[in-house]
Amino acid sequence: MVDAEMSFEEAFDRLEATVRQLENGDLTIEEAVALYEQGMALAQLCQQRLDAAELRISRLALSSDGYYEKVPLDESLSEL
Amino acid sequence: MQIYTVAQVVRYLKELIEADRILSSLWVEGEVSNLSRSAAGHLYFTLKDTESQIRCVMFRGQLAASSSIVPSNGMAVIVHGRLSVYEPQGVYQLYVDLIQPEGVGLLQLQFERLRAQLEREGFFDPARKRPLPRFPQRIGVVTSLGGAVVHDIINVISRRFPATELVIAPCAVQGPDAAQEICDALQALNCSDLVDVIILARGGGSTEELWPFNEEIVARAIFGSRVPVIAGIGHETDFTIADLVADCRAPTPSAAAELAVPHQQECRLRIDAARRSLQRLASGFVESNRSRVARLVELMERASPSKLIDERRQRLDDLVRQAALRARHTLDLREERLQSAGRQLASLNPVSILRRGYSVCVHEATGQVVKSVQQVAENDYLKIRVFDGTLRGKVVEP
Repeated sequence: MVDAEMSFEEAFDRLEATVRQLENGDLTIEEAVALYEQGMALAQLCQQRLDAAELRISRLALSSDGYYEKVPLDESLSEL
Repeated sequence: MQIYTVAQVVRYLKELIEADRILSSLWVEGEVSNLSRSAAGHLYFTLKDTESQIRCVMFRGQLAASSSIVPSNGMAVIVHGRLSVYEPQGVYQLYVDLIQPEGVGLLQLQFERLRAQLEREGFFDPARKRPLPRFPQRIGVVTSLGGAVVHDIINVISRRFPATELVIAPCAVQGPDAAQEICDALQALNCSDLVDVIILARGGGSTEELWPFNEEIVARAIFGSRVPVIAGIGHETDFTIADLVADCRAPTPSAAAELAVPHQQECRLRIDAARRSLQRLASGFVESNRSRVARLVELMERASPSKLIDERRQRLDDLVRQAALRARHTLDLREERLQSAGRQLASLNPVSILRRGYSVCVHEATGQVVKSVQQVAENDYLKIRVFDGTLRGKVVEP
């Protein structure tokens, strides 16, 4: 249910949606437990994304076959 | 030889004038005179100088849309408009779309004119501005690489929300080539399909230095960008056309970076809050279910058949015991009465009466029990029964 490839936005939204579902009540205990586990897994995923994050920086360039791609930013930038 | 109608001639003149490049968009300075306003709200006046004059009209719609001033007679102004012919009267007129007081700089004039035009075209319409993504996965940056701006943006985003990516499309941000390079960069980012939002940024500078961001092609490139654009140009007080067209305007490049991403601390707080809610709600569920189950068990036990049987059994025992008690009680009572009757009977027993000293007299001749002195005469014989036998007696004295 919780895909490791999920974007932060999707995980975050689903986490808050899971809390809302539990708040609504009207669930069997199995459903409640399943939502709890799903929510905790989503929270974990979000947390990890934030903790592990390092800003990636690249530059847009046009490749030889006419597609746009990311290339590493020029090293000299750091000297400015 | 051709003979023309008046209409044909006038129309020909109109077409000639409208085809002229200069006459279709020109700035004219002069003095206002003969100013009047029609019932519909249109402005009619004459623009003149010492040698000549020209008729002008400014329609109500143009006046409203632009930041034009409403002039008064005698005022020196600069107007922008196009020349044409009003056919019914056979007169040429300047159709004005902007009026500014004389003395306003050329750049300012151009700015005002473009602003009015784009506003009419709906470029600044708030309804058209797109919402920014809340957690962009990749952020495009259009700015110059040679300057503090790109570093500022990198620093702000690193601090606030490093869980994202920057894709920089560098360009000149001042000079004659800048406008085109800015357009190219915006277009490239759009075509790459790599970014969710674009920051268009440039540090502070003079009006001339900021001018590329007032160019029409840049405005059109921002308007046409599929990806939402945040403009962070110059300082707090600088307002360019790009600022007005962008989906979102920030006072500086750093502020633009702040608008692009949330702060990770706020995200962490919300994640923690969600975790706490999950725990609270889940244990709430378990607790309420536990007490529900307990109650159900209780109800079941009360209603259970074995319990019922036990109850009945107990009642049976009770009834039996009570019955036995009652029976005994009755028996006891009877016995009691029996004994009492026995005693009564015993006391009434003639033998015990005799024992007490009484005797029974029987007249020997008649055999009757003597109960009265009348029944006997002198010399009658009596049988006297006492407790332990019988005596024979004779009446001596009645």
